[in-house]
Amino acid sequence: MGRFMARRLAFFLVTLWMTSVMIFLLVRVLPGDVARVILGRDASETQVEAKREELGLNDPLFVQYFTWITDFVRGDWGESFAFRGQDIRELVTQRLVNSARLGLISMLIAIPVSITLGVIAGLTEGKLPDNLISVFSLSVVSLPEFVTGLFLINTVALKWADNPIAEKIGWFPSSSAVRADASFRDALPSLWLPAIAATLVLLAYIARLTRAGVIEEKKSEYVRTAVLKGLPYPVVIFKHILRNALLPTVTVIAISTGWLISGLVVIEFVFGYPGLGSLLITAIERRDLPMIQAVVMVTVSVILIANFVADLLYAALNPRITLN
Amino acid sequence: MDKEILLHVENLNVSYRVNGGWLRAVRDFHAQIRRGDICGIVGESGSGKSTVATAIIGYLSDNGRIEKGSSIRFSGEELTTKGRLAMQSLWGTQIKLVPQNPAAALNPSIKVGEQLAEIARYHLGMNRHDARKAAVEMFGKVQLADPESVVFRYPHELSGGMQQRVVIAMALITRPRLLILDEPTTGLDVTTEAVILDLIRDLIDDMQAAALYITHNLGVVAQVCDQVIVMYAGEIMADGSVKKVFIEPIHPYTIGLLNSIPKLGQSKRQGALQSIEGSPPSLKNPPKGCVFAQRCPAAVEKCYTEKPELEHTHEGRLVRCHRWQEIHSGVLDIIPETQADVEQVERLERESLLKVENMTKHFGVRRSLMEVIQGKKPAPIRAVDGVNFGVQKGRTLGLVGESGSGKTTLSRLIIGLTERTDGEIELMKIKIRSNVRERSADVLAQMQMIFQNPQNSLNPYLTVGQQIRRPLMKLAKMKHDEAAQEVYRLLRAVNLQDDYASRFPGELSGGEKQRVAIARAFASNPELIICDEPVSALDVSVQAAVLNLLARLQEDRDTAYIFISHDLAVVGYLADYIAVMYLGQLFEVGYGHDLFEPPYHPYTEALISAIPVPDPSHVSQRIRLQGDIPSPRSLPTGCRFHTRCPRKIGAICETEDPPWRDDGEGHFIRCHIPLEDLQAMQQQLVMAEASS
Amino acid sequence: MQFFTPTPTLVGLRRSLKAVGKFARELFSRPPTAAGTLTVLFFLFLAVFGPQIAPYPDPNFQKNPSQEAPTLNLREFRLGDYPFGTDRLGRDVFSRVILGTRSIFRAAGLGTLIAVIVGTFVGLFIGYQGAWVDEIVGRIIDAILAIPALLLALVIIGIIRNLNFEPNSWQSEVADNAVLIVIAIVYAPIVARVVRSATLEIKSRQFVEAAQIRGESPLYIIFREIFPSVIPALVVEGALRFSYAIFLVASLGFLGFGARPPSPDWGLMVSENRGGLYALTPWALEYPAGAIALLVIGVNLMSDGIKRTVQKSG
Ligand code: SF4
Ligand code: SF4
Repeated sequence: MGRFMARRLAFFLVTLWMTSVMIFLLVRVLPGDVARVILGRDASETQVEAKREELGLNDPLFVQYFTWITDFVRGDWGESFAFRGQDIRELVTQRLVNSARLGLISMLIAIPVSITLGVIAGLTEGKLPDNLISVFSLSVVSLPEFVTGLFLINTVALKWADNPIAEKIGWFPSSSAVRADASFRDALPSLWLPAIAATLVLLAYIARLTRAGVIEEKKSEYVRTAVLKGLPYPVVIFKHILRNALLPTVTVIAISTGWLISGLVVIEFVFGYPGLGSLLITAIERRDLPMIQAVVMVTVSVILIANFVADLLYAALNPRITLN
Repeated sequence: MDKEILLHVENLNVSYRVNGGWLRAVRDFHAQIRRGDICGIVGESGSGKSTVATAIIGYLSDNGRIEKGSSIRFSGEELTTKGRLAMQSLWGTQIKLVPQNPAAALNPSIKVGEQLAEIARYHLGMNRHDARKAAVEMFGKVQLADPESVVFRYPHELSGGMQQRVVIAMALITRPRLLILDEPTTGLDVTTEAVILDLIRDLIDDMQAAALYITHNLGVVAQVCDQVIVMYAGEIMADGSVKKVFIEPIHPYTIGLLNSIPKLGQSKRQGALQSIEGSPPSLKNPPKGCVFAQRCPAAVEKCYTEKPELEHTHEGRLVRCHRWQEIHSGVLDIIPETQADVEQVERLERESLLKVENMTKHFGVRRSLMEVIQGKKPAPIRAVDGVNFGVQKGRTLGLVGESGSGKTTLSRLIIGLTERTDGEIELMKIKIRSNVRERSADVLAQMQMIFQNPQNSLNPYLTVGQQIRRPLMKLAKMKHDEAAQEVYRLLRAVNLQDDYASRFPGELSGGEKQRVAIARAFASNPELIICDEPVSALDVSVQAAVLNLLARLQEDRDTAYIFISHDLAVVGYLADYIAVMYLGQLFEVGYGHDLFEPPYHPYTEALISAIPVPDPSHVSQRIRLQGDIPSPRSLPTGCRFHTRCPRKIGAICETEDPPWRDDGEGHFIRCHIPLEDLQAMQQQLVMAEASS
Repeated sequence: MQFFTPTPTLVGLRRSLKAVGKFARELFSRPPTAAGTLTVLFFLFLAVFGPQIAPYPDPNFQKNPSQEAPTLNLREFRLGDYPFGTDRLGRDVFSRVILGTRSIFRAAGLGTLIAVIVGTFVGLFIGYQGAWVDEIVGRIIDAILAIPALLLALVIIGIIRNLNFEPNSWQSEVADNAVLIVIAIVYAPIVARVVRSATLEIKSRQFVEAAQIRGESPLYIIFREIFPSVIPALVVEGALRFSYAIFLVASLGFLGFGARPPSPDWGLMVSENRGGLYALTPWALEYPAGAIALLVIGVNLMSDGIKRTVQKSG
């Protein structure tokens, strides 16, 4: 087990490092001329040259990378161009917290519902409940987040806007544009709608996966053994089928958590929610390169950590891993 | 005198839904099994034997159904009409299945003790504590070493033999009255199989249960069963006591089967094996007459038009054949005189073709981070360790060993698919490179290979013709037209018609695929062909034809073989010279027949004794190896066989490498016991056996 | 008697035609799959013949240019007029939805195709070569895949967009096709990974070893022996990628990173017509959104069916 963990950890670090190189190259090299990107099309050649010098762009590439990554690791992420010289690190962590809130609420809704649906569908394969659930999940999977998001705004939020009760508790406002530094309690009411939109996407995905897992296990020989042991049906399902069928689901949930926490760009954009995703869009629109780098680095780290956790979780739940 | 009939199956018909239509997989099955009896069902793949088992237990797959009019009575109760709940309690206590593949039949994420204990809790009303105790006790009964700790292990931590014991324990804990064993030893090595078979026989005797034993192995039936039912293409061909059916077979199919497997010690020089040509009929449109007619040497016109009934003959036997009386009375002799079209001289030395010296393969083991930091190097896996042998032109070297012996690695080292750690290979006096990619076309042309699984060794997306033509052009350097003609010649040489050239492998049967693979191997007219278990994936009736083919081609083309198999009888049939391998080393080398008579190496002796012989009158010497083959990661010191050797003579076996001893006539044994002593001890056993 | 020996290529061609025919029959035998496939084909038809079909082939045609805001009674269900109404600029939504198919098929379809081709080459090569090549390229792929597709797309497009290119230079060509290129970049590693694992599995089959022991070159082994067996997995993955690509293109359009106004891009149409004006011209948003959903459902049903068919015959 220790050995397995060490290997996964090394794997995690290597991937993180390679991704950082990639992000660096993407942002520094791809545009050809960072200084010009920053200054815009109308800047004069001398201005651009001055900026280049200032940014250290005339140094060799690996020096630039090294400077950037050491600063980043030390927590010195620089100042934002777009947000009037604010400290990037502060801004990003604040937004990360917001995104994480949204992501966690989505998970809280999505996990129980999707697993239940998936298990029911798997157990009733080919029968009515399965077909209903399959149709539902297929339709939901086929709707882009901005479509579901807009739909929710227009059905739930706008229709309920005049409902006195809804107004009183303040749930389902059509815009989730809370203040970026709002406390969890203050932000909660505006979280529900985007969370539901995020849930829908995930719901169908997890449910389908769970269904597939259940069906596969149902056909396995050891489930036949369990049935032929004369065990009651519920015991067969909960003890023998689900224990193995949910293994991949658990992994996927852990991985998805990373994606959710690291920002649901489209949903945040639709609802105007101040998370990491909408920060990235602003940063890109305003050509805030250091900010872009920071956001992508944070996103990737969160995702890789989630993958790492998923691996460990899988190993912990699956006795077959421990040997090798 | 008759014991109670526990299971009575009548008129069993089972169908499967395939592509919208219903296929009858089992037709008119009958069986009666008495308490304390073991009834075997033998048949090849597709014979419907497993379907019978699942139908009886009441657990057909979703697309299967038992037809109306079928009856399965279990101690008087009709099972076909029982609901699932009623079956549940029968499954729990009375009727148990021992499945084929224990690794898949055990839940991978539950400790094996719990998998056993839960049965005791639900069906014997035990509490947790008692159930656990019962599990430990049961594990003891199936002779699992150290049952107290085994209960806490997961299935993947156990060897195949141990997993099979766990599954047997699960079946026996409620003392069921009917056991259904579905090929319970098929995945196991012979030495392990022998031990498990003894165990099954003893436990069933002890509990006085009735058992149905499904297998494709006639030897196993002869060793453990009282009754036997022979199935073919979904129908019963013959039924009767094992003694009668095996010693005095009256159905052409049974006769064919019994004669198609080489007996232990039988050699190609004694004549070709009797093979059953052709392949089973498709279930989609079963023949009107006898299902066996297309392959039956005794078929007459009537056989094609009129379906034979299952007739009662003498002594409670059943047979389905129009001509059984003629066969029984000896009027009709359907065993053809087989010509030994193989040269009789055996000991004539020929020039050396291949010399393998000190062949060694150590697989590196991945180091953990800790080990890297500490600079430790874990011991490598020594898959093949200093093997020497030679092959003569036009002769066959047989290589026998169980799984883990390193025989397949050895073959891959020679062909160059695995790179050797150490050692030399000389082909026709020329040293050849380790990696196949570095070998010249001339070397490649001289050495080819036939793989174990024809399913895998032919590319499903290329026609048979394309696959044979390629080596012709690439290695034999033929022009396109010339190669096209040669393809037909090769196909004919392996008894396939010309039109096979344009077929895809998916359209061929297993036996036909293996013929194509053989044709492909012979395309470059090599001096040496390595055959890695070429018949083990084939049905018995097809096996014989392929073995005959290999023997004939060798005679015609003077090609040498290295023939690798886990089956001593098959190796013995084809090989001129045999080498026995255990844990990466050779332990005995000798001429074919030398290996089947004392003196032999203690390991060879155990192997021979473990082989289930398809002759119920045969009493085996009952030498059983305990434990499992050790892991090649941590090899035993001294003689590598000492952990299991029944003839171990003491500390010397554990500390010193045993020397090679030879009898001066080309028979080599690697053991601390001198040959004379070995011979004396082993002769005694053989005598005892003969007199019993 | 064999008067005519068919050459292997002819036989092969006939066989593959037969195989494709059989595949299509299988595909159309299940109603949901047939419906999905027909939907996709329908949209493909629109993509090709859109300009011929649309009542107003110029997407920016305004019925009444002087009119700034749409009139509500413009939503008339008379074909040939404005079956889907007009948007707030008075443009015919029906025509714009039809004309939009081409841009989505261009970006998503072509992008996926490039991703599949590149991914196949890379996957086959690293899968067959193994060892350190696989180790290194595999790590790079992992690193790329750690960045969410949309994020990567946004960053790349955002940067390309801001560059100042000469009109008609190759760089501006690239910038104009940014979405297509991004789809290819984002999905090629995923395809490569799928092909790689399929290759690894097939490489261990013995027909590959049989080719090695007759001294075939790696290129022959990769393309002649291994590649055909990879195709089923590739087809399944390609269909799946296509549906994700449509999603991605639509999302990029919606976020303002895809096609630029005034092109008739579905995602863009949704975002242009949302917000405060939504209540005024809901149809201008509903129809393109519905079109996206319909197409994705179609592709999903089709890829589901392809997967079933492949697994069944596999
Ligand atoms: S009935 Fe005819 S074909 Fe069938 S086994 Fe008897 S002799 Fe052979
Ligand atoms: S050397 Fe000893 S342990 Fe090895 S085979 Fe001979 S007697 Fe057995």
